[in-house]
Amino acid sequence: MSDRFDSLFGQGLAILFALGLGALVILTVDESPVRVFVTLLNGAFGSPERIAGTLLQTTPILICGIAACISFRGGLFNIGIEGQLFMGGFWATWVGFSFNLPPALHLLLAMAAAVIAGMAWIAIPAFFRARYKTNEVVSTILANYVAILFTSYLTINWFKRSGGQSETPPILQSAYLPELFSFSRLNWGLVIGLVLAVGVYLFFTRTSRGYAVSEMGANPKFAEYGGIDIKKQTFLVLIASGAVGGLAGGVEALGVHHRFMEGFAPGFGFDGVIAALLANGNPIGTIFTALFFGALRSGSLLLEVDTTASREIITVIQALIILAVSAQITIRRKASDSTAGERRWKF
Amino acid sequence: MPLAIELKSITKRFGAFVANEDVNLAVESGKIHAIIGENGAGKTTLMNVLFGLLQPDEGEIWIDGEKKSLPNPAAAIDAGIGMVHQHFKLVPSLTVAENVFLGMEIRKGGLIDHAAQIKRTAELSKQFGLQVDPTERVGLLSVGIEQRIEILKVLARGARIIILDEPTAVLTPQESRELFQTLRGFVAQGMTVIFISHHLEEVMEVSDNVSVLRLGKNVATRPTAELTKSDLVQLMVGRLVSFDRLPRTPTIGKTVLEVEDLWARDDRRLPALRGVSFGVRAGEIVGIAGVAGNGQTELAEVLSGLRSSSHGSIKLNGRTITGASAREIRAAGVGHVPGDRLVRGVDRNASISMNLLMGRQDQSPWSTHGIINRNYLLEQTQALIKRFDIRARGPESTAKSLSGGNIQKIVLAREFTGSADCLLIDQPTRGVDIGAQESIHGEIMRQRDAGKAILLISVQLDELIRLADRILVMFGGTIMGEISGDRVDEEEIGMLMAGVVPEPRSNTLGAA
Repeated sequence: MSDRFDSLFGQGLAILFALGLGALVILTVDESPVRVFVTLLNGAFGSPERIAGTLLQTTPILICGIAACISFRGGLFNIGIEGQLFMGGFWATWVGFSFNLPPALHLLLAMAAAVIAGMAWIAIPAFFRARYKTNEVVSTILANYVAILFTSYLTINWFKRSGGQSETPPILQSAYLPELFSFSRLNWGLVIGLVLAVGVYLFFTRTSRGYAVSEMGANPKFAEYGGIDIKKQTFLVLIASGAVGGLAGGVEALGVHHRFMEGFAPGFGFDGVIAALLANGNPIGTIFTALFFGALRSGSLLLEVDTTASREIITVIQALIILAVSAQITIRRKASDSTAGERRWKF
Repeated sequence: MPLAIELKSITKRFGAFVANEDVNLAVESGKIHAIIGENGAGKTTLMNVLFGLLQPDEGEIWIDGEKKSLPNPAAAIDAGIGMVHQHFKLVPSLTVAENVFLGMEIRKGGLIDHAAQIKRTAELSKQFGLQVDPTERVGLLSVGIEQRIEILKVLARGARIIILDEPTAVLTPQESRELFQTLRGFVAQGMTVIFISHHLEEVMEVSDNVSVLRLGKNVATRPTAELTKSDLVQLMVGRLVSFDRLPRTPTIGKTVLEVEDLWARDDRRLPALRGVSFGVRAGEIVGIAGVAGNGQTELAEVLSGLRSSSHGSIKLNGRTITGASAREIRAAGVGHVPGDRLVRGVDRNASISMNLLMGRQDQSPWSTHGIINRNYLLEQTQALIKRFDIRARGPESTAKSLSGGNIQKIVLAREFTGSADCLLIDQPTRGVDIGAQESIHGEIMRQRDAGKAILLISVQLDELIRLADRILVMFGGTIMGEISGDRVDEEEIGMLMAGVVPEPRSNTLGAA
């Protein structure tokens, strides 16, 4: 209990520290930090439309964050969520514009395509990690670049919409992920993300398979000794993580853009990884950290209109937060007398 | 007699926990001073204070009659104190001399002067009778020699007061004797030795004075000659404890575990088991004696399915289980208390209940349709905490918050309450204090009497003598010989442990 408080408190402190440093940066561009932060808040939560806008930005970060949580709990580090998202987004779009099907079925198939694309994209890193202990951080991060360039290649050279832009034809209405309100593009993807967060949380805390995965993450030698098939489970955990990463792309394509284009989802995958890290791998906590990043993103839109500060300031603040939080995690790990190689993601 | 070290009223707290409370310690110069006590009695904390690794909350440290403050180990080394840790910190790919001078290399023109280092190492080696080859690579050497290198490291840094933390835990009886010879050599040259140990015989044999710590306080400091072994135990535990062979009735049944011509390799792909054959019957404890690193760990790992064998067969109740996975072997009825409980035996950050769940998370009634049955788990945890006398605040306490003995009880509670009819028990009381040792031994005997076939691996001879019906001695991956548990000659076992087959003798009545 006090452990959980400690970690929340520490995380909060790290964010405050980063905001403080951010204020100094804002001062260097001759702008008032107070005005910037107020504008940010106003831009993120100032009206129902703006709140919806924030939640719209939150959704992909949340789903990507859950994908990251799944791998973290198993002691694995899927940092290729960005790539899985691009693949998921592309293939969901492809199903969306290539077939003419009844509404519910079309949507379902397009989502399935996203999930399968995400799984396929992590399958090779997952296999090599499980079979040969190839470092998944390296292989998944490399797969990101391939995914981004590959989907871009497919878009430009095979599926480009006639006339102008580097984008695919729009998907049919039958594959749209329905919107929640009339005044915003905010859609059912948010609900999917929330349900997924709760589901993954329950999976890890209540089920025997979730227990097996958690113990593999906490102490793989103990898990192996207890009869858990480490290789098989490593493969499955990464595949599940990739599936959710692909789903994030599907939600973005079918719910927001209704097409696929270059620069389809800038950095959502990475933001998701950081959101999950901030939440210590807890999917429920990731809801809040994803919201925080979503608010920064959507608040920064107003920032450029109302102040002399540029959006890049937000990137700077985000980077500072990441730095502060990772420093805090490192210090904490050093302080606890952890045995070699032990990783722990607490709920 | 002048005092080399005087600790006055040392108190060290960790939060609300008091590790050392008003501890006074006076170590005479030129003597071997033993410090004994149960785990958690505060020995290590006290030594870490003395070596500058921890700062005392209260109290003073006097060295050679001067008051000192020791903010870090460098200050302690300057004051002439050296510490040989229980776990060696050597670089296997470097030579002996390079290890000795690691971090304080002798330089010439900005480069390491290897010749000078080798010469100096050879001089130290000769002066103190610690035989090593300065040019040999450490990775190829035995544990006993590694320890000599650790001691040489300390000497090279000019230590006059040497602290050894459980130095004999990894040695054969013969190697221990050589070490004691070395220590006596030190004091003969006017140095002072502080010696932490669990082994009371050793303390009796080698030390001049002994201090006993109990629950963070020192309860006595006496000349060793005035005390008997049972006095020491009583001082440590605070009550009478017997270490005699436990009484038993013959309950031996059919063969449960049968191992034939088993071969396996270690992590470095070198042969660790070379044709091991034996059987364990129901209601029997078969002990495996041997110096750590002679294939015992690999044997337990192969039998539990955590390591593959390269040749030979393992049968459980007549069924071949060679090459089966850990899960299948568990299901077939083998329980395993691993030698390194903190690595394999528990998840230190998880609660007691979560640690008790391992291996049975898919079995009813622990879970139904893949959902963990939380109420049942909690009930069982509470019952097992009670039955195995696990000292913890509750089922949700994390394993790492418990002492070594209580962590071991979690492992026993899990492995002894399954449906296993064969138990592999590796080092059940390593690092466990005497009080918990007694109850763990009692539990193992109860399992024997309940008809389980037990393979007991231990590097502690007294433990095997106390528990085992038969003792097999392992050396270099083979079984050197078998000795009946009630007719043990320590000298004979010692020779077998060192790989020497003793001459047949008529006197096998034990060296009492």
